[in-house]
Amino acid sequence: MAENITAEQEVYEVDKLTLLDCKKIRLAKEESGFLTLDYEGRTYHKVNPTRLIPFYSKTTYISLSYENSEKEFREIGVIKDMAELDNEQYKLLDSYLEYKYYMPEITKVYSIKDNMRGAIFVKADTTSGQKTICIRDWYQNFRMIGYDYLYVNDADGNKYFCPDIHKLDRKSRQVLEMYT
Amino acid sequence: MDLKTSLPENAKADIIYSLPANFTCKGDKMDGHFCVTKEKIYIYNGSEITLEYSIDDFSEFECKQQIGTSMAQGTLKSGETICFCGFSQDQFLRYAELMKLLDHCLRTGELMEITDTEEPVCPKCGLPLEGAKECIYCTGKGKTMVKLIKRIAPYKKYFAIAVICTILSELIWVLAPYLDRVIIDKYVTPKNTHWAGLAGVIITIVTLLLLAGVFEFFNMKNSFKVALNLGRDLRQEIFEKSQQLSMNSISKRTAGELINRVSSDAAKLEDFITANGKDAIVKILSLVIIGILLFIMDWRLALMTVLPVPIVFIIVQKLFDAMAIRYTKVWKNGVSHGETLHDILNGIRVVKSYGNEVREIQRYTECSERWAKSCVRAEMMWYLTIPASEFILTIGNFFVLYFGGNMILDHTMTLGQLIQFTTYVAMLYEPIRWLIQIPRNLADTSVSAGKVFEILDEDTDVRDCDDPIDLDIQGDIEFDGVYFGYKVYNPVLKDITCKINKGEMIGIVGHSGVGKSTMINLILRLYDCTQGEIRIDGVNIKDIAQHSLRSQVGVVLQETFLFDGNVLENIAYAKPDATFEEVIRAAKIANAHDFITKLPDGYNTRVGNKGYQLSGGERQRIAIARAILHDPKIIILDEATASLDTQTEKQIQDALGKLTKGRTTIAIAHRLSTLSNADRLIVLDKGRLAEFGTHAELMQKKGVYYKLVMAQRQTTKMKKAQPQTC
Repeated sequence: MAENITAEQEVYEVDKLTLLDCKKIRLAKEESGFLTLDYEGRTYHKVNPTRLIPFYSKTTYISLSYENSEKEFREIGVIKDMAELDNEQYKLLDSYLEYKYYMPEITKVYSIKDNMRGAIFVKADTTSGQKTICIRDWYQNFRMIGYDYLYVNDADGNKYFCPDIHKLDRKSRQVLEMYT
Repeated sequence: MDLKTSLPENAKADIIYSLPANFTCKGDKMDGHFCVTKEKIYIYNGSEITLEYSIDDFSEFECKQQIGTSMAQGTLKSGETICFCGFSQDQFLRYAELMKLLDHCLRTGELMEITDTEEPVCPKCGLPLEGAKECIYCTGKGKTMVKLIKRIAPYKKYFAIAVICTILSELIWVLAPYLDRVIIDKYVTPKNTHWAGLAGVIITIVTLLLLAGVFEFFNMKNSFKVALNLGRDLRQEIFEKSQQLSMNSISKRTAGELINRVSSDAAKLEDFITANGKDAIVKILSLVIIGILLFIMDWRLALMTVLPVPIVFIIVQKLFDAMAIRYTKVWKNGVSHGETLHDILNGIRVVKSYGNEVREIQRYTECSERWAKSCVRAEMMWYLTIPASEFILTIGNFFVLYFGGNMILDHTMTLGQLIQFTTYVAMLYEPIRWLIQIPRNLADTSVSAGKVFEILDEDTDVRDCDDPIDLDIQGDIEFDGVYFGYKVYNPVLKDITCKINKGEMIGIVGHSGVGKSTMINLILRLYDCTQGEIRIDGVNIKDIAQHSLRSQVGVVLQETFLFDGNVLENIAYAKPDATFEEVIRAAKIANAHDFITKLPDGYNTRVGNKGYQLSGGERQRIAIARAILHDPKIIILDEATASLDTQTEKQIQDALGKLTKGRTTIAIAHRLSTLSNADRLIVLDKGRLAEFGTHAELMQKKGVYYKLVMAQRQTTKMKKAQPQTC
């Protein structure tokens, strides 16, 4: 929430896109685990960064927002490209986003077992170890975005991805063939 | 639910709950734990305590779901929010339960040490159970099939006749090759001209074939009787169940899904019973009988026929698997083709107005092309697979012919015997082919059976108590410490306590999503509150018979649903035994009579989906007439005038005024001016009851309600200030 500003005093221009100047952005991690932003003389606490196009880009078009005292959504602005942030700021924001969007990458697929009732069990290597991922309603939750990107949402709500299934080894591609 | 799934190394002895935590509060990865003792919360990173808090310092605990992770957080009494740790989504339900227990501890001062909530995931396959008692995926196929077979019991007489008839006709077919052998060996090969004997055998064959036809007729007649009755029973039961289930269970599924279960899944089971039910008995029986006959006739030739079968079985299964991949692709491309078509045609106005026809044609062509290509691939595979598998399956036949032929030349076997033998071999392949198909058929049916029984076996979570009261409602309503959430871990209403007096008109106001409609759903008992009590005339609504409660509550919603039928039927829906005069009176009070009279067929004008299109105001007045005829003690108006213009709203308000007179009324309206005649207002804010009082009192208080009124006035002014463009 923004300091010293109450909801009544605040003017929120809902129809204006504010592209943030990366040179002026000062983000910091608070002890409580949340992000704080200093921007153009104002301090915003509990800042929530959001990837606006998470499937296309992880570091461009990042919206920074907070909730005001009325718990209403307020966007501070959008970072067009995180690359313009200085190194330390980039690392800080990137680590927060990686945590919020924690999504292990699938690197190898061993087998897919179909229980013939809409659920599949995918045995795969991911960047967080070997797993058997249970996917319910797989037509919805195990799908291709475009021709290369595989998006997986498991029964618990964990998300996995493979940026290009055509770059996987031959065996993995064969296993995936029926399901993609 | 187990909330002590793993403990950190060097864990304190007094830890009651402990759950794994994958991230620190700052989002760095860790191998840690979130531990709770009677008074403290500890965050372990490895075996070290990195953070320590007193439960007493907090005012609220909650779980926040992010995109790929979730976090546990608490609000300190000072208002500051602290993040404890982050964790992967599979831990979410356990953390949510633990936060609920901590919240309960804040209110009561006691940390419950046992939680009676059921395990959230199936211990066998790891899939979430979502309230079901047993995992529908892990219930053995056999178990579901047994349930299906048990349903034949009421029709066992017909089923038995069908089975007996099929066995008899099968026996005749087994006998036929023997008679062929007799003709060949006794009359054809020796050129025997004993006509009387030949005629006798031929007459026997014809009689047997006729008999087989008769048996077949009775078999079909009775099998269909069993299958059709079974299908009807299933459809009816699923439908009845869908009417009895609580809103909670119903809203988990779309209408389309329920329709699918009532019609197509039930039909699949019906087909399975007709095609495979009795077949299973008969085919296995004929396999055994023919098998024995073959071995008696010549065990060496019989072995040649049977030996390749297991190998064939494996090869054919593999071929079928390869084919399944292709057909699944065809199916997926077909679905995506249908969706694209539906999408483009539904949005044809948008397509045309943006001049995007060419782009859409291209999109459709690509999709159609993909489908056609996958069809060609699958069909090619099919026409390669079927002859190939057939060839492999019947390969034993060639050996039989070769060795059998040799035996005839050696005079160790007669021609008639060989013909009889090869006919039996051909007959043996029939049940084997069926057996090869069975795993796939069984899998397909068990999917449908699983879905059907999932509904039939579901317990309704809102049900009458053992001895429900038929209450003559007066109209006092009391909320006492009510908590409710559509998902237990996410309460929509928190600690609502208020008393509504008989005959009062109460308005519920608040931002959208604050829980206004939820309060109404609770009064109607479409859902049960998770904590606290709602009382009507001092009686807990859980003790009132649902039928008795709902028959005395009238509802007018924003969108009125009219059933396919005429105006009269739609008004009388609330009271089917009402006289026509009563209906007219209700329509008059609802200001509906006049417009109904002007309709082409008066009260007999067909309305609903396929009928006369009524305007929003007209539909609303029919709904009010319906409610008036119902003569309820409590009336609920959920945004009843929201979609109407000011002129029509006035007419409806007038009608509503007559309806609500002297009855307890609860109204929700976004437009605050609509609630001007409310006696008192309930103001909800962030799920809690923020204010309760008359309009004047609340305006004076200058709290949440005051802000809402001011904000709306501002918007109205802005709208007025805008120049009219048309």
